[in-house]
Amino acid sequence: MQPVVHFRNVNKYYGSSLAVDNLDLAIEPGQFVTLLGPSGCGKSTTLRMLGGFEMPTSGEIFLDGQEISQLPPNKRNVNIVFQDYALFPHLNVRRNVAFGLELKGMASDAIHKRTMELLSLVKLTDFAERMPGQLSGGQRQRVALMRALAPNPNVLLLDEPLSALDAKLRQQMQIELKSIQKTTGKTFIFVTHDQEEALTMSDVVVVMNAGRIEQMGDPHTLYAKPRSRFVANFIGETNFIEGKLKAVDGGLAAIEWNGSVVHANLNGHGPAVGSTVAAALRPEAITVISEKPANTIAVSGQITQRIFKGDHTSLTVSLANGQSLVAQLDPVALSRVTGDDVWLTWRESDAVVLAD
Amino acid sequence: MRSYFSDIPKTALQASYWLFVIYLLLPLALMMAISFKDANFVAFPIDKWTLKWYAQVLQDRQFLEACLYSIFIALMTTLFATIVGVWIALLISTEGMIARSVIFALACLPAVVPGLINAISMRIFIRVLDIPTGTGAIILGHTVHAVPFVVIMVLTRLRSMPNNLVDAARDLGADSFVAFMRVTLPYLAPALAGGMVFCVLTSIDDFVRTFFLGGYQTTLPMLIFAKVQGGMSPEINAMATLVLIVTAAIGLYAEHLTRRSRTR
Repeated sequence: MQPVVHFRNVNKYYGSSLAVDNLDLAIEPGQFVTLLGPSGCGKSTTLRMLGGFEMPTSGEIFLDGQEISQLPPNKRNVNIVFQDYALFPHLNVRRNVAFGLELKGMASDAIHKRTMELLSLVKLTDFAERMPGQLSGGQRQRVALMRALAPNPNVLLLDEPLSALDAKLRQQMQIELKSIQKTTGKTFIFVTHDQEEALTMSDVVVVMNAGRIEQMGDPHTLYAKPRSRFVANFIGETNFIEGKLKAVDGGLAAIEWNGSVVHANLNGHGPAVGSTVAAALRPEAITVISEKPANTIAVSGQITQRIFKGDHTSLTVSLANGQSLVAQLDPVALSRVTGDDVWLTWRESDAVVLAD
Repeated sequence: MRSYFSDIPKTALQASYWLFVIYLLLPLALMMAISFKDANFVAFPIDKWTLKWYAQVLQDRQFLEACLYSIFIALMTTLFATIVGVWIALLISTEGMIARSVIFALACLPAVVPGLINAISMRIFIRVLDIPTGTGAIILGHTVHAVPFVVIMVLTRLRSMPNNLVDAARDLGADSFVAFMRVTLPYLAPALAGGMVFCVLTSIDDFVRTFFLGGYQTTLPMLIFAKVQGGMSPEINAMATLVLIVTAAIGLYAEHLTRRSRTR
């Protein structure tokens, strides 16, 4: 299938600083794609280059197979939902949504019909004659979304549109956005620095750092099999296991970790035996037991901290080898208390060797 | 609310305020009172009241012509000053524009240069260029003086305009001209209304520039000046009262308009 959006060797410099570094990115039609990364990672610049508000310093951007990298925003069939909505304050809700349709020269009764259809999609028909200043944050968000969808763009761009909303409303909007994306079948490209938001909504997450793509994949793969230390750290909580690679057996690595030997999934990497490697291990993948298990590798330690977090309890365990690991337990695992001696074990495939 | 000089009794502060209000309004009140006096000289007390001065003023062709002439000049001044002022404000707020502060300072200079200096220099200027004195010259002089007010009001409004409004318009298919007409200009409307009223009022009020640049036809201030030189009479008070009421009404209405659109 031809990608709907294709960045090819795109570089963007601001003066001498590199904002986007040789970006290669192909996006399949109909997907909810999230560009995820810390501020300054190049995600917003990437989005703005696609919208036409920044021009790449070099490289090409294709939309539906057509090269668009030098076209102005009004000549591109993409629309954007801005971070602070950018609703026109002098126009009411209906005229805001109709703005793009009027510029397309659509007949006025057709405009009215489409505008009202869109507003009913987000249950705002009763607010059609209100001014933006009279709406709540969530309502403005919905109007901005419908205004951007009205001209029927190939791709909808969303630039951290939920960041101004409070936590409850944000969760509700995440679900709503996802369902609107499903019903319209459009390609959504969403920019955020919030990993939870990215995992909740996306079909594909593109993790960016320092102008480059760190890893691209579905949320589960990113979480379970992070490629790099950055991705492992940025998405969720992680333990890092660092040591010398002692041996490689099939897909498994044996790592000498401060005297203990532990196993980890190589995850397609091919580090040389004898080199230093790091592996990521999620807290919830760790099993805490009282006795040394007979047939799997385990490490022993003492619980030094126990934090109740509502849906789970987090244990920090100081290991005999001088390192420490964080493990997650059910909230009702009340039997484990600070000072207990325990053994930690995990499935070998749950520890994942990282690229760096 | 903050409170200053809190150890001075409140009544003292309020009394000083009312003293100022009396000082402000009393001359105007006296002027208005005399306009109803049934006698040919300007003095108190008023024994008999009349409306005849108003009837006389409203039938005075000279007065009506001067009014129309002043209004015409004010409207032309407003038109030119608004176009130039908006243009300069847009230039100054354009990102990456060089010497923005210099442009701003130059644009605002006429607001602080003494009217007399301004008038003399304009007079010399039109002499050099061989522009005749009269309507065109007056409009030129008034425009130079009115531009800074438009620039400052529009600039203030532009600064409060979210950056991405224009981006949003461009994104939805507008080219830069359409984006300006359909988004930027409506956003500026309250500032434009305020600036335009200011232009009208400063132009109608202007005496010095008109005096140096005018031709044979008299504007309202020049007519009143000429009449005062011929001797004070309650007729002048009636004229002045009419001007006062009309300009105050325009000013207050404009203030009301801009306030309403600001709160929206």
